[in-house]
Amino acid sequence: MESVALNLAVAFVKILVILGIVLGVGAYLTWVERKVAAHIQRRPGPMVVGWHGLLQPLADGLKLITKEDLFPRYGNRFLYNLAIVLALVPATLVFAVIPFGPEFEVFGYKIKPILTDVNVALLLVFGLGSLAVYAVALAGWASNSKYPLIGSMRKAGIIISYEVAITFAVMGPIILAGTLSTYQIVVNQIEQKLWYVWIQPVAFVVYMFSLLAETGRVPFDIQEAEAELVTGFTVEYGGMKFGIFPLVEWYIEVLSLSAIAVVLFFGGWSPLNIPFLGFVDPLFFLGPLSPFVWFLLKVTALFLFILWLHWTLPRYRIDQITEMAWKIMLPLALANIVFTAVIAPLIWK
Amino acid sequence: MAWARESDFSDLKEPFKTLEVVENKGTTSLHVRKEELLNLLKVLKEKKGYKLFLDHSVVDLKDILEKDKDFKNAVAESIIAFPEDRVSRFQAFYILFNVDEKKRVVVKTRTKETLPSAEKLWFACKWAERECYDMFGIKYEGHENLVRAFMWETYPYFPLRKDFPLEGFPEEELPSLNEVIKGDKLQGTMNYERKHTFIPTLEDLEITERKRLQKKAQIVLNWGPLHPGTHGTMWFLFDLEGERIVQTDVILGQLHRGVEKLAENEMYNQFLVYTDRMDYLSALCSNQAWVVAVERMLGIEEYVPEKAKYIRTMLSELQRINSHLLWLGTYALDLGALTVFLYCFKEREKIMDILEGITGARLTISYPRVGGVRMDLPLGALEAIKSFTGRFLKELRDWERILTRNRIWLKRNKGVGVIPPEEAYFYGVTGPVIRGSGIPYDVRKIDPYDAYAEVEFDIPVGEEGDCYDRYLVRIEEMKQSVRIVEQCVKKLEKLPESAPFFAEVPKEKKIKLSMDGIGLKVPTSEIYSSGENPRGELGFYVFSIGAIKPYRVKVRPPSFYNLSVYPYLMKNRVIADAVTILASIDPVVGETDR
Amino acid sequence: MVKKLKVKPLSWLERILFLDFIKGLSVTIKHAFSKTITTHYPYEKLTPPKRFRGFFAHKVVDGNEPQPAYDEWVERFKIEVIPGRSRCVVCMLCKRACPVPQLFQIEGKKLENGKRVVSVFNMNLMLCTFCGFCVDACPVDCLYQTDIHETASFTRKDAILDLELLEKIGRDWQSRREEEPDRLWSDDVERNKLWYENNLKLKKSEKKGRHEW
Repeated sequence: MESVALNLAVAFVKILVILGIVLGVGAYLTWVERKVAAHIQRRPGPMVVGWHGLLQPLADGLKLITKEDLFPRYGNRFLYNLAIVLALVPATLVFAVIPFGPEFEVFGYKIKPILTDVNVALLLVFGLGSLAVYAVALAGWASNSKYPLIGSMRKAGIIISYEVAITFAVMGPIILAGTLSTYQIVVNQIEQKLWYVWIQPVAFVVYMFSLLAETGRVPFDIQEAEAELVTGFTVEYGGMKFGIFPLVEWYIEVLSLSAIAVVLFFGGWSPLNIPFLGFVDPLFFLGPLSPFVWFLLKVTALFLFILWLHWTLPRYRIDQITEMAWKIMLPLALANIVFTAVIAPLIWK
Repeated sequence: MAWARESDFSDLKEPFKTLEVVENKGTTSLHVRKEELLNLLKVLKEKKGYKLFLDHSVVDLKDILEKDKDFKNAVAESIIAFPEDRVSRFQAFYILFNVDEKKRVVVKTRTKETLPSAEKLWFACKWAERECYDMFGIKYEGHENLVRAFMWETYPYFPLRKDFPLEGFPEEELPSLNEVIKGDKLQGTMNYERKHTFIPTLEDLEITERKRLQKKAQIVLNWGPLHPGTHGTMWFLFDLEGERIVQTDVILGQLHRGVEKLAENEMYNQFLVYTDRMDYLSALCSNQAWVVAVERMLGIEEYVPEKAKYIRTMLSELQRINSHLLWLGTYALDLGALTVFLYCFKEREKIMDILEGITGARLTISYPRVGGVRMDLPLGALEAIKSFTGRFLKELRDWERILTRNRIWLKRNKGVGVIPPEEAYFYGVTGPVIRGSGIPYDVRKIDPYDAYAEVEFDIPVGEEGDCYDRYLVRIEEMKQSVRIVEQCVKKLEKLPESAPFFAEVPKEKKIKLSMDGIGLKVPTSEIYSSGENPRGELGFYVFSIGAIKPYRVKVRPPSFYNLSVYPYLMKNRVIADAVTILASIDPVVGETDR
Repeated sequence: MVKKLKVKPLSWLERILFLDFIKGLSVTIKHAFSKTITTHYPYEKLTPPKRFRGFFAHKVVDGNEPQPAYDEWVERFKIEVIPGRSRCVVCMLCKRACPVPQLFQIEGKKLENGKRVVSVFNMNLMLCTFCGFCVDACPVDCLYQTDIHETASFTRKDAILDLELLEKIGRDWQSRREEEPDRLWSDDVERNKLWYENNLKLKKSEKKGRHEW
């Protein structure tokens, strides 16, 4: 009885911590993105609200919340609001299975810094990822407008195509690790002294493309494509309701999928890896904090890389995107699985 | 300019009974009766090689026919076709270009109200006919869908007719402009309450839209009038089957200000101000084209000092770079490369700084004058230009590294919006668009004005005629412009500082040429003179009856005819290509609508 | 003369190693670590060049009038010259040169000594195109355009410049900038933020400029 209560309490604390971090960081990532974009474009970015615009996300949030709540005539109000919930919830839920670091002890009680270490974690991730399509489709449908409809159809097409590619892409690391549990995958990588990216570069490239496609980042941001569709399926949303969509898509989802990428390909919280030989930790002086910092560093690096891509590349056309998914990405991912299956016994020893 | 000679048409006298060939100072024109017009145009296009359609419009001769003195003068200069006919009040003209022999001809006819439609010969003519129907009320027989080009369908007047009430309609009021804040009411000429004009209601717009396009597919998407992809206020109708476009139509006129009507009521020099506001991205090039046209009419082109010519050439090339930079930035922005936009604006800002320092304005420049330029170059102008061109090519290379061979860029541009050469003539496109299709048509070479005959540059041409070729052509044009600017700077550095920058016209010419342009009388004549704008050939057809104001000015807007190819290119394309193709055509609404 | 443009297609190596992306990324990262070039507008402002065509002003009589033109025009129109007030001789040439003449409202009044002086000079800038034709037309170098470019106002009334305002702006401009040489622009820190990468140093000039080009 006691242990159940304790477990519940720990889980509750974990939920609070994760939610706080995710939503808070998500908001501040808007600031990061604006700064990165600005400096790439030779601008200083937000500078007025707070030191170097540090309070800008708060000002933005305040502005969005106080805005008038508009609703399109003849739209479906229930679905219109449901879409927001459906966008926010699955994206945040993914963080339930992301391991932030190794197990540690507090007052003799062992805590894994992961909300639930289920043994089908990856399945959960991609299941939740697929749910995003409902949010987009509903948002487009309930708005009763042409631009959102076209935007949401585009996005639905992309998600359906790339869900397949991304699932086959992560097959490689799964075979190598022999488990679906995210925590265990990291542990296995550390045991095998190998980041899977070294022998799974193809899978990683496919994964990255799919990540960009699912989150609607350049070069796949066609559901927004402001030059063509204004802002795609969010045209009819206003105020904070509008604010949630990009927040979820561009920040929380990117963050969660980057974290999964780090878990699958970059050995989670492990320090720098020399293939098959071991790990080098230049941050050893941080002691027990080092794994957490490593995890954070890797996710940040990946996130910044995605921003860098976003502010450099042009965007594809919808037919080219789906064509690429089915004609290039999927065969590549399948070939990669075969390749992995052949070499996997060598890794397992 | 190589205009066609009378001897070129000697063999046409036989089949066309009413044909008259007239060689004027500025033009060569073929006068033909309305009944034979269509056949003549057909023969000119198919047998004589006059393949490229430049312009078509109408002159309302009402005022001339009523005044004997003007009429006699006009007849003496033979700028009116069939002067014995004093009833038909409209004189239509078609300006055509012979591609192989590089010469132009004007075909003229007279009519009371109707004309045969030449839409089968040139699609561009279809649009020009719509405009004439809109502005003059000319009915075109055989026109597929004769709707108004700029005004809404229920608009009751024909603005360019000479009897259009200029003073406005006292019974009509513009509510938004007449709104008076308390205590803000002013007396006399300062009172803005006197604006009385028509505005369309929502029903009017609906009728206009209905008249355009018969719905064939699933949904009709209103793309515009205010849409980030249209680069201005253009209204596109896409008939969509899924995301595939079945048919397209364009509703223009959201920015229509009646520049041609304004021209008839302004003095020659004053109209300069309105050329700024047509193609507002390349105001200086438009200024230059207009000024050159008036100088040619006055016959003072050779009196314009070398310095003024070089300054005008140099600045208009800078303006061309400026305009192409904006195009490149927005093109990349439309295709999702968000950063190139700001890099382009960085360099553009430098050009703006230079232009601002020299002319005093950044956008609406109004710097050239008939007979020279407004003022001499200030200290340090040439240094600044040199330091700009010195670095610009390096920046351009940087952007090309991002775009030119990027696989996404290639995929989005290659094979999209292909205009074969024959279609280019059919749609009357000019500028980078026709050069992208592999036709080296450049007014700067064909009809050199100012210092273009004395500087060296290449004409870049593409191969396929797709968006990618147009992109390459414009990039290369910027490099060529830098070349021209450098040559001009070299020349200007050699000229002494005290060299004149304004024409000293000999006294016996008796032309009152003054800096303010007051009372600039232009002899009775007509001219078609054009300049190479960043968007294509900007032509001015000026019809003068020896007054201080032009009788009729027809602007040949390059964007308007370039845009006419758009519905053809959009057939069976997806919406994502709409922005690519539109941006690669690069229309400016200020110019399409005027 | 005619230059055919062609770009060679992507090679397989470039495709597989994403060399085209890497090239683009290298450009953007280079820019990301360069200095920013923007002017932080309401807090920092560029000095417009002397030739800038902004708000209008009247130069006042201060002994620097263009001679002999000024005396001739004063003679011809029998104008009372008041030091410190507008040089306007009510010749209406500005109105004549203007593409939108309705924007001018100019009236002179007769003084007791039989001489005339300008009494009303209104310019409705709502109609103005800032082309500078009136400045060119002014024979006595009175009407001209200043470097004032922040022209927004809350009411339409504020868009109308009357004689007093024109004189006030004129006095201000004359004290600030009339002595400046006719240079492309005056050096300032803000402009250098953009131009530093071009290494441009404009020559200094000892010549004192007036407003007569």
